[in-house]
Amino acid sequence: MKSNLEVENLIVEKDKEVGKEMAKLGNKIEIRDLSMYYDSFKVLENITMSIPCRSIVALIGPSGCGKSSLLRCINRMNDLIPNSKVEGEILLDGENIYNPSCEVIELRRRVGMVFQKPNPFPKSVYDNVSFGPQVMGIDNKKEMDEIVEASLKKAALWDEVKDKLRTSALSLSGGQQQRLCIARALAVQPEVILFDEPCSALDPVATQKIEDLLIELKENYTIVIVTHNMQQAARISDITAFLLMEVQGEPGRLIEYSDTNKIFTNPSDYRTERYITGRFG
Amino acid sequence: MHPKTADRIATVFFWTIGLITLSILLFIILEIFGRGLLTALKPSFFWGQPKTDAPGGGVRPMLFSSIYLACLTILISLPISLGAAIYMNEFARRGRFTNFIRFCLDSLATLPSIVFGIFGMTLFVIRLRWSYCLLAGACTLALLNLPIFLRSTEEALRQVPQTYREASMSLGSTRWATIRKVVLPTAMPGIITGAILPIGRIMGESAAVIYTTGLFVNFLPRSPLDPAAPLAGYIWYAQTEAWVPDYRQIVNGGAALLLIIVFLINYLARKLAKVYSEKKTLGGI
Ligand SMILES: Nc1ncnc2c1ncn2[C@@H]1O[C@H](COP(=O)(O)OP(=O)(O)OP(=O)(O)O)[C@@H](O)[C@H]1O
Ligand SMILES: [Mg+2]
Repeated sequence: MKSNLEVENLIVEKDKEVGKEMAKLGNKIEIRDLSMYYDSFKVLENITMSIPCRSIVALIGPSGCGKSSLLRCINRMNDLIPNSKVEGEILLDGENIYNPSCEVIELRRRVGMVFQKPNPFPKSVYDNVSFGPQVMGIDNKKEMDEIVEASLKKAALWDEVKDKLRTSALSLSGGQQQRLCIARALAVQPEVILFDEPCSALDPVATQKIEDLLIELKENYTIVIVTHNMQQAARISDITAFLLMEVQGEPGRLIEYSDTNKIFTNPSDYRTERYITGRFG
Repeated sequence: MHPKTADRIATVFFWTIGLITLSILLFIILEIFGRGLLTALKPSFFWGQPKTDAPGGGVRPMLFSSIYLACLTILISLPISLGAAIYMNEFARRGRFTNFIRFCLDSLATLPSIVFGIFGMTLFVIRLRWSYCLLAGACTLALLNLPIFLRSTEEALRQVPQTYREASMSLGSTRWATIRKVVLPTAMPGIITGAILPIGRIMGESAAVIYTTGLFVNFLPRSPLDPAAPLAGYIWYAQTEAWVPDYRQIVNGGAALLLIIVFLINYLARKLAKVYSEKKTLGGI
């Protein structure tokens, strides 16, 4: 067991090295000229941004400007909404995910998602985490146990639930449920994880835990997070994207996209400044 | 009027209506049980052979026919309505086509059951040459109950939060895997209740079975192609033909027996759904 752990740590160490290399090398995700429609209603227009490997990118902007819509383009969850339409490209490791040849199922395994409200299945803690791997076809009990344990550990939940793996996930607290959802997403070994306001239903203590966790996860994963909380964006993200729908009924546009530090100390656009200082939205 | 007075009047008003409804229901139940409970509980009645020439006959073949028929009907309509509900709720886009299906079903639901009876007779009994048998009755009843069945199954599926489906899809499951592993297990209590509750209606249906399964048998039907005599049809038959002096006993006892069965089934449906949902939240899927 111990040697296993050491090996794992070694791999993680090595992964970090590789990650730093990759970060220098290039971008995990490139969004190019993306526009999106619900029916004929255009919600996003000409979004272009590059998301570097192993970084946290925060999407901020007033309600209704299309943050969730943009996020859900990245793992093609919008496909589930009839009449949604996307123009432009999103490259994941250089491949356009909107190519007809792209396997959506495979894409969603590589790009995981955590939702605004904790949404564990009404199953046991264990069954929640093992859901993804099971769907992928892993049926070896021992292997599954290891995956579940590792995922719960990565989500900083193991110590709290290791004695109640068989109890219902719905009996956990909201913060625990959200970390369970993160563990569930981690169990399929994604490369990117999308978070849509993951803390908006949580109290400050639970929020703090998730934020710490996100910073830890950054070592191995590329993270995109939607948040309404400016402080949160400033605390945890490397890059911030400010989206704005200037007039009701017009599409949301990317107003500014730069280092979080710069956005919060010296934004280049007056609208960004107005938003982060709380003058509208 | 003072809001408080209005509130008081409304309270009294709705209380009264509730009480009236309740007393009508109670009256019907007491009336049926008062006339037939003693007969219904006699083993020589519910477990006795029917007689055509002397008083004191029982309804064993009829009771058996009713239960057999109900099971067969569920067996036929459950897969169909489940499949249709899954299609309409999980695959089909809401639009003209599904609206059209719903419109047809709603129209079907308002048809009197005698129409189904005649249709079943024309198609199954005569055209397909099955003659009077359980299968013909079950197919007819399945048609009759399809709208209700489909509605309740659809409702059960619709109760499954969209967030569960999203979570499952976001983990890289296919639509089918999502349905099988998340939607169906979550909806199962609702589906079970929805499948059991109409049994009462199936058992109580007479018009649709009179023309399709038969009116009198003195043996227990074995194969679905055997003729049978469900209790409700037999009650009607005994009442109209009155071939034995104690036919009133048969009618009253049969009615009470039906009521008991319906109560039992509804109770069972609730119990089952409850047990199932408890098991599920404990992580037992
Ligand atoms: N399924 C849908 N069908 C039609 N319009 C939609 C749909 N989902 C969202 N919209 C519209 O798209 C716009 C952007 O919505 P979106 O949820 O992406 O905004 P958001 O920035 O995430 O807002 P919030 O901060 O409130 O979550 C809104 O005007 C919304 O009404
Ligand atoms: Mg949103």
